Amino acid sequence: MKKGLLLILSLFCTVAMADDNVVNVSVWSQELSPNIVQQFQKDTGIKVNYSTFDSNEVLYAKMKASKQTQYDVVEPSSYYITRMVREDMIEKIDISRLSNYKNLNPAFIHPDYDPKGEYSIPWVWGLTGIFVNRKYYPNDKIEKWTDLWSPKYRDSLLLLNDPREVFNVGLMTLGYSPNENNLQHLQQAYQNLVALLPNVRLYNSSSVPSMLVDEDVTIGMAWNADVYKAQLQNPDIEFIYPKDKFVIWVDSLVIPKNAPHRDNAYKFLNYVLQAQIAAMQVKETFYPTANQAALAYLPPELANSQIIFPNADLIKKGYFQTDINDNALDAISRYWQLLKLQ
Amino acid sequence: MTNKFQYFSVGLITTWLCIFGLLSFLVMVVMSFLQHDPDHIALWHFTLQNYEDLFNPIFFKIFLKSFYIAFMVTAACLLLGYPFAYIISRLPERLQNTALLLLLLPFWTSSIVRTYAMMSILKTKGLLNTALLSMGIIHEPLQLLFTNTAVGIGLIYNLLPFMILPIYVNLERFDISLIEAAKDLGAKYTTIFRKVIIPLSVPGIVGGCTLVFLPAMTLFFISDLLGGAKALLLGNLIEDQFLMANNWPRGAATSVLLTVIMAIGLLIYWFKSNKRINYEAAI
Repeated sequence: MKKGLLLILSLFCTVAMADDNVVNVSVWSQELSPNIVQQFQKDTGIKVNYSTFDSNEVLYAKMKASKQTQYDVVEPSSYYITRMVREDMIEKIDISRLSNYKNLNPAFIHPDYDPKGEYSIPWVWGLTGIFVNRKYYPNDKIEKWTDLWSPKYRDSLLLLNDPREVFNVGLMTLGYSPNENNLQHLQQAYQNLVALLPNVRLYNSSSVPSMLVDEDVTIGMAWNADVYKAQLQNPDIEFIYPKDKFVIWVDSLVIPKNAPHRDNAYKFLNYVLQAQIAAMQVKETFYPTANQAALAYLPPELANSQIIFPNADLIKKGYFQTDINDNALDAISRYWQLLKLQ
Repeated sequence: MTNKFQYFSVGLITTWLCIFGLLSFLVMVVMSFLQHDPDHIALWHFTLQNYEDLFNPIFFKIFLKSFYIAFMVTAACLLLGYPFAYIISRLPERLQNTALLLLLLPFWTSSIVRTYAMMSILKTKGLLNTALLSMGIIHEPLQLLFTNTAVGIGLIYNLLPFMILPIYVNLERFDISLIEAAKDLGAKYTTIFRKVIIPLSVPGIVGGCTLVFLPAMTLFFISDLLGGAKALLLGNLIEDQFLMANNWPRGAATSVLLTVIMAIGLLIYWFKSNKRINYEAAI
């Protein structure tokens, strides 16, 4: 009977054609330039079936929806990699087949979410910090997340519309790790965030740069690449690395278990690991790349930007986001609903 | 030939609706009675747990809040839409068609696009603020975007035509001689309106309210875009259940419950309109 249900469900999924010279790739929207895809097709003759997704949850649900995976390369975020390894959804990657692996920044190849670096190829990364528009707050001393709790920012903050991101802040300001499984600590973080609510103006994560440029919101939390983009058009915007720690996320390329076109997947991975290709990606979207060799191919104002390429000491101060257990996730999801019902 | 074409087109649409409407709804109904399993979509094991979960205070609050918003929006649409529909129905026929065309014109654009347009009107440096500032009416930009006011404006704007059309269809067929009879009997305008026109247009009002009330509870992108995602509506709840919490059975139960509420609304409408569904009004 369960098979019948799966059969019905699979009717709703796209079925990739059993053509041999293809590679089925699904990545975060905006994180793999269509130009790279085109160039790969031209250089190798392999057709790329390219699709995008907007949240890890969607990718996870799609991968779970069919028994035999259709994808050859997907790009989950750091904390979902732990989950996918635990649930046996992705394969170990044979690094010896990737001659361009050496281009990667060593800071990213043994991260907490994949300690041996066996399952994932770091592609783009970013970190969540504080932004402030200095035209509105010229002299305010803003150094830490806790500064955002000040009553003078009533009804003005932007928070990312992402439960884990917001709870990271709630936990770190109490001195806990963002990868906390302790339910009591999560409850304290929730109470801490309730105190922040009067200051919250909106939650958004998909159109942050344009909101910053137009000054619809002038202070809050944001990803470094989004702030960099906004700053190009509105120089009053400043990015701050919070002194009470911050979270680094890494979106990595992985190969799903039993990928139908494994050889092409390796060719694709090795191709995008080239320094020039990774540099192409940065020039288009400004997301920091884990490809160190790519920096040589970037214009100096990009390669030297402290916002998108902070120095190694600063990176060490951040936490890599890892997976938390189902009880903790449920608690966050419940507290998130409560936050929005206040 | 005509007959064959009729069978073909009706058959095609019926098949389409059966596969993509009925079948997917049935999958949801079945799913809503299955057990949640974090490693699979669902476990093939009958349970009522998903419906029991909906009696949780958080879900109850979300229902209540959605109901409250939907109720206010429906009331506002009725107050604005009824006089509008009444005036259109009393226009000469040619003008009536033009008025209806103008009413439906915005629907040629998707409502998400129109909501983005609404954002560019309401934002700090948007059209409205720029105009008011340059006319000297205000000196500081109004902070309209990301407030409940903005959500209200967006919902009413999007749903008003759904209130006007059923009432218009009802009033348009209204027998004018009834008003003349009332006048002959010495009734005042207010009495005629209260005792003749309103009671006879109840099916239109119920139809309009049903068409406004349910979308108002679920149009989550309006609350997300214009309200800054600060409120949770039933639509958000269903999306969260499926994607965030990865709990398909509970998400299915939530949407089935919503469908049941909608069905009850339509049944009331059906009985009110003398057991005859007014299909024109339901468009």
